[in-house]
Amino acid sequence: MTKILLVIERDLRSMVQQKSILLMRWFYAIIQIGIFGLAISRIVTVMQDYYTYYAMGVIVMTMYSVAIYTGYEIYDEADLGYTEYLLSIPLTRRELVLGRSLAGGIRSLVFMAPIIAGFMFLIGIVDPLRVGMAIVALFGFTFGVSGLSITLAVGLRSGDKFDIIMGALDAFIVRLSSALYPQAFMPKPIAILSQFNPLTYASDLFRWSLNFNTHFLANPVTSVVVLIIFLTTFNVAGIAIYERNLEGGTWR
Amino acid sequence: MIHGVLAVLEHDLRVFFKYRFTLAGLISMNLADLLIMAVVYTRMVSFNYFQFLAPGVTATGLFAAAFLIGREVNMETRRGYNEYLLSLPLRRSELVLGRVTAGGLRGIIYATPLLILAMLILKFPTPAQFGLMLFAMYLLSMGISGLAISLAVALRSFERFTTARSLLYLLLIFCSTVFYPLAVLREILPGSLILFAQLNPLSAVADLIRGYLIGVPPVTTQSWTELLAFSGIFIMAGAGLYRVAIERSVQ
Repeated sequence: MTKILLVIERDLRSMVQQKSILLMRWFYAIIQIGIFGLAISRIVTVMQDYYTYYAMGVIVMTMYSVAIYTGYEIYDEADLGYTEYLLSIPLTRRELVLGRSLAGGIRSLVFMAPIIAGFMFLIGIVDPLRVGMAIVALFGFTFGVSGLSITLAVGLRSGDKFDIIMGALDAFIVRLSSALYPQAFMPKPIAILSQFNPLTYASDLFRWSLNFNTHFLANPVTSVVVLIIFLTTFNVAGIAIYERNLEGGTWR
Repeated sequence: MIHGVLAVLEHDLRVFFKYRFTLAGLISMNLADLLIMAVVYTRMVSFNYFQFLAPGVTATGLFAAAFLIGREVNMETRRGYNEYLLSLPLRRSELVLGRVTAGGLRGIIYATPLLILAMLILKFPTPAQFGLMLFAMYLLSMGISGLAISLAVALRSFERFTTARSLLYLLLIFCSTVFYPLAVLREILPGSLILFAQLNPLSAVADLIRGYLIGVPPVTTQSWTELLAFSGIFIMAGAGLYRVAIERSVQ
């Protein structure tokens, strides 16, 4: 446990060094909520509180992109020859991967905390139970996303492939989910695909925790089950692939 | 003169196609916006959002592809590649003109299929209208390339350059009529940002394409004037700054 904590501490410290990336993500979330969200909610006619719905989705979406950043860091470390150093320290591969996945989740939470707090304050959510549930839902999701990112990074072992898959995932995973719009308004093929997307369940669970109209949301029990399966699958896969592909001290 | 410019142009176009992974990501983003997001929003808003967004996606794709040249110039400046460029048997003016022209062409090459997609969705224009749309896109693309080159040489640090690029990207894309009509922006933005959105060249090109393909908003002399002014200023600024910076970078 202490060793996992050390990995988490190290990854949190490295996040603080990426100031410009952090500021840009904040700015991106603020522009999305403050301009795009406001503008699009003026033309949406089928939902009364679409703006709140959208803002909650942007928060989850931004946390997704912060969590996915762990995979890019793994590539940077490989390029700089840092992977061999990590493999030489007295940590098991399992501790390393779990620590990095947990750190990815915590980093996303820490990073978005000011925006989440500001948003909850604005919409009047002060109930500690609801706030706690929302945070657990978000953490569970970002923990799983970090695991996914690590799994892909060490599984693909090619920066180009990883880049293109992450680019496509980023483009499609967000739009094929209920992060931006409810499943009720999606054409059938898009709605079906969105049901296999963990971002759908994370966004809806976050909204449910914050008391949003349940008519437009996925069932919270289903969401919890899907998120648990998601985070377990990708963290176990991440550990297995990390151990298999990196053993012997070589990256490529 | 022409020979030198063409050589630079050829070099930059070859480099452009090496960015296949960046381009694939960009295409995914543009197509996902149009074929998924716009399709869903069409069911949620009171007008055909899919048709509204098709020209907007063309403008954003053009912007992103034209801006790529800034990344290259910034990298060349930091890695000392400018010494090699200056040692080539080319005049400075050929190098500068070649780069800005190539930046513009790269934008057009990327965005023309998106324009054709918009035409398939909306309607086929007359050959003259098609030519005018391509010309407007080329002007915007050259202006954006000039802007990207200006930033790349002014902010030599990669971190500062990428931060500035992202800020600019967000402001130009979201404070424009790419995703929503100007009337909606008037309801939510303060006066200064409305002015910015009106003068934004992305708004000008998106609305020009809409004007030629669906007739709304109508194409006006003002749209063309704004586009010409933006492009003129940034092409000259980019070319001038690049010319000065490339020489200073090796001193």
